[in-house]
Amino acid sequence: MRVAIIGAGVMGLSTAYYLAKLGAEVTVFEQKYLLYGASGRNSGGITPMIDKKELIPFALKSLELYDKLPAEVDFNFLFRKDGYVKVAASDSDAEKLKRDVRVQNELGVKSRIIEPSEVKELVPDLNTDSIVLASYCSESGVIFPWPVVWGLAKGCRENGVEIKDQTAVDEIVVEGGVKGVRAGGEFYKADIVVNAAGAWSNKVSEKAGVKLENKILKEEICVTESIKPYLDPYLYDITYGVYLSQSARGEIVGGITGREVEEISTDSTLEFAARYAKRATQLIPKLKGLAMLRQWAGVYDEGKDGLPVVGFTEVDGFVQANGLGKHTGMIVAPALGRELAKLIVKGDNPNLKEFSPRRF
Amino acid sequence: MVKERKIVCRCEDLTEEEIIHAIEEGYDNLESLKRYTGATTGACQGKGCLMHIIRILSQKTGKSPEEIGVTTQRPPVNPVPLYVLSEGGESE
Repeated sequence: MRVAIIGAGVMGLSTAYYLAKLGAEVTVFEQKYLLYGASGRNSGGITPMIDKKELIPFALKSLELYDKLPAEVDFNFLFRKDGYVKVAASDSDAEKLKRDVRVQNELGVKSRIIEPSEVKELVPDLNTDSIVLASYCSESGVIFPWPVVWGLAKGCRENGVEIKDQTAVDEIVVEGGVKGVRAGGEFYKADIVVNAAGAWSNKVSEKAGVKLENKILKEEICVTESIKPYLDPYLYDITYGVYLSQSARGEIVGGITGREVEEISTDSTLEFAARYAKRATQLIPKLKGLAMLRQWAGVYDEGKDGLPVVGFTEVDGFVQANGLGKHTGMIVAPALGRELAKLIVKGDNPNLKEFSPRRF
Repeated sequence: MVKERKIVCRCEDLTEEEIIHAIEEGYDNLESLKRYTGATTGACQGKGCLMHIIRILSQKTGKSPEEIGVTTQRPPVNPVPLYVLSEGGESE
């Protein structure tokens, strides 16, 4: 079986890696360089504390895979499991956290509700007046997205996958079913073409004549100068959409949850920097003196009903693997890629039923 | 040995040898090299090291500095404390 995967982000590479292990012949096409897309631009928050129950089993499975994969591919992902705290700044969001934790617990997530005073034990210098309530999960933390992508790429290559960077797919050749792709002036024969192009997935899908209406979101992030290890857990304020954590290099990495956009853009704005700085320093006033070094933006996609779009389409051999959503791409991708590999090889996988592109 | 260590990036404490090693590992374009080594992402944001990195990359790959290009310049130009940023930029 020959598979062409479009997009060398965490979803495309996970799928490629597990497909290769199942014996498929895989080529991955990346329009730019590895890390150009959202997999190289996100903040690496990893938690099964998700508010979409369909994604939770995949998050739990991915946590296991993140424990195993670094050894398998011999590459350190720099996963620091120092917990994840979601805070609510309004009563209605506090109720949401409670509802979410109940669902998470039913599905086996060891999350719990904690009071602001307990958050302060986890996050020194937290301004407890800035929040109402929080939820916490210790089996969570911060991963460095770059080594995840490099490590998966290494694992892919060692299993015979060819990764062609700076090679945009110009055409998906469909005659009855998928026949292959044309990229960089060459034709590549393929039985299966996988669309793992993140924010570019709608456009890629058009090339196969398949309508895809994922939402496109733009998210801005920034880093401060490095300081000594100070902040253990990943902190996400669900009311303001503001999140921050400390990277393995000591920087405080933070951003604001993405907003839907019409066009793909990675421009940085002062408006973001100001909004972020304001809320971050309300949460942890001590950060006030810390200088922002750099800001950037990333784009990603989400299925129009909020869930990923993964599986076979009406065009024989054309497979969607996109729409992974806000705050969830890095945590669901390994398990989702693994299940998708099984779906492609076996022709069926009930675990992915809820994400089928045919649900729309 | 010590005198042979050529520091090319002071913020991230990178030597010329380490940059060459990364290029040989396959991180042989500027954007990948930047991310793999951390060069240009430290406190100076590339002001001190970018030209060194481009020179080494040019010497190792045979590409001209023009072909290699430069990294995306991201704001702010100089570091800005969060308390300053938090006072501005309200446009909504």
